[in-house]
Amino acid sequence: MRGVITIARRELGVIFDSPIAYIASIVFLVGTGLLFFFGVRGNEDFFAAREATLRPLFEHAPWVLAVILPAVTMRLVAEERKSGTLELLVTLPVDDWEIVVGKLLGAVGFLVVALAMTLVFPLIVASVGSPDLGAAAGGYLGLFLLGMAFIALGLMTSTWTENQIVAFILGLLLCVFFWTATDALIKLAFEQPPAALQLLDFRTHFGAFAKGVVDLRDVLYFLSVTAVAVAASTHALKSRHWR
Amino acid sequence: MGQHNDSAMIEVRDLAKNYGDFKALRGVSFELRRGEILGLLGPNGAGKSTTMKILTGYLSASSGSVTVDGLDLFADSRAVRERIGYLPESTPIYGEMLVQDYLMYVAQMRGFRGSEARDRIAAVTKRVGIDHRLGSEVGALSKGLRQRVGLAQALLHDPRILILDEPTSGLDPNQIVEIRDLIRSLGEERSVILSTHILPEVRQTCDRLVIIHRGEVVADGTPEALEAEMAADHALLVGVTGSRDDANSIVDALRTLPGVDDASLAHASTEPFEHLLLEVSAREDVRRALFRWAAEGERELVELRRKRMDLEGIFQSLTQT
Repeated sequence: MRGVITIARRELGVIFDSPIAYIASIVFLVGTGLLFFFGVRGNEDFFAAREATLRPLFEHAPWVLAVILPAVTMRLVAEERKSGTLELLVTLPVDDWEIVVGKLLGAVGFLVVALAMTLVFPLIVASVGSPDLGAAAGGYLGLFLLGMAFIALGLMTSTWTENQIVAFILGLLLCVFFWTATDALIKLAFEQPPAALQLLDFRTHFGAFAKGVVDLRDVLYFLSVTAVAVAASTHALKSRHWR
Repeated sequence: MGQHNDSAMIEVRDLAKNYGDFKALRGVSFELRRGEILGLLGPNGAGKSTTMKILTGYLSASSGSVTVDGLDLFADSRAVRERIGYLPESTPIYGEMLVQDYLMYVAQMRGFRGSEARDRIAAVTKRVGIDHRLGSEVGALSKGLRQRVGLAQALLHDPRILILDEPTSGLDPNQIVEIRDLIRSLGEERSVILSTHILPEVRQTCDRLVIIHRGEVVADGTPEALEAEMAADHALLVGVTGSRDDANSIVDALRTLPGVDDASLAHASTEPFEHLLLEVSAREDVRRALFRWAAEGERELVELRRKRMDLEGIFQSLTQT
């Protein structure tokens, strides 16, 4: 375990040492802010709607996370692979899974900071009305779990290549795919989509959180996606042994 | 399996490694003895780095066994990694970190905390002579200093075994001497394997050397023993007075001497007097016979030396095919 914490702390330090973290934070804050207050279409305009709800935040933030989180995770392993530092890292007395989990947690640290900055939106809404704070808490938990799954997917693509741009594009595609395309593909393939396939869609599981409903199955779903991506990342690190 | 050797820190037996169809190692066996500095020598691509990557747990072997300090490398990889300090080729360390932060990171990864970690960092940085650069960014250091940081991280846990892949490559001549002296002194308390393709380095640093070529061990011994072994075919350089016109008859005469396999003219000179230098290869020691032959023919023997194969010659003859 000592390796996990040491690596997580270093990664968090590196993320906030690089301009990527600040660009990503600003994109996240400004992006979610614009989408929150002005919406994509006119009828979602926060001011026009005259409703003290955070629903638009939870509607739009996942899109922004799907773009910025792969930008934060792209370097996690790819950079070490390219510069050769990976060799020193894996020959230290730590297991490969500890390296992966440590890097995941470092990026999750960034996610927590980024989400904390958006607390300004609930504060603004609360100053003009009385939003449902339970729903807000549920929505934030959902964003956290969704973001962690996105990070795990981005981390996984970062273990596949030494090219950070490739890692970013693959991570972006996977996040967007899971957030939206599964739904579209399923609807394209089936007139009456089977319930089992519907369960693969991130949006299905995230929707309940945004309404303030925390269902253990949804929590487990995002944790499972994260676990599978962590296992795949560990596998990619170990693959040096049998190539 | 085999006799256990108490003096061996690392025992490598029949190590093979395939990358797909390419056989990088084809049954390599050697040992690292307690307290020695072993040079792994070979042309680029011979399998030195692959061997080191396996010993340090970075890669698995396709077959063979490795015992490190009595532990099975493949069954007990983590415990083995606790006992080894490793510096990979071209010193891959995080350039954006400060020296002290980087060493603290490695110390913590190795399980040291608080004052113990700080004490160890203080000790190793003093040992390798970078204690005055703790606040510098790793990426801003010269290659020689960077190499010292690489050695420092390999020493933090005071390992009994050091594995250094091309530790002097890319350094300038002064830095090479400094790092070599440092390795030499580190080797007084530890067992060290270093790889190199620079020959003078081997003689000055290593107690013993293993030459690898195309994934196989082609020689194993002290530099002196290898030189002696390679000189064992009794090749001689013989200088006798005479002009170039005498060369053919002298060569013929030498060839008829008992024990001599072949003779040829190497060089004819008129300075400071007319003499010929001849190469003689023999199946036994013919130095006394040569002396008598010269005396009987009333020629003066002006030079007689065994043609020793130096390390360069050994290396070339073993690795050129």
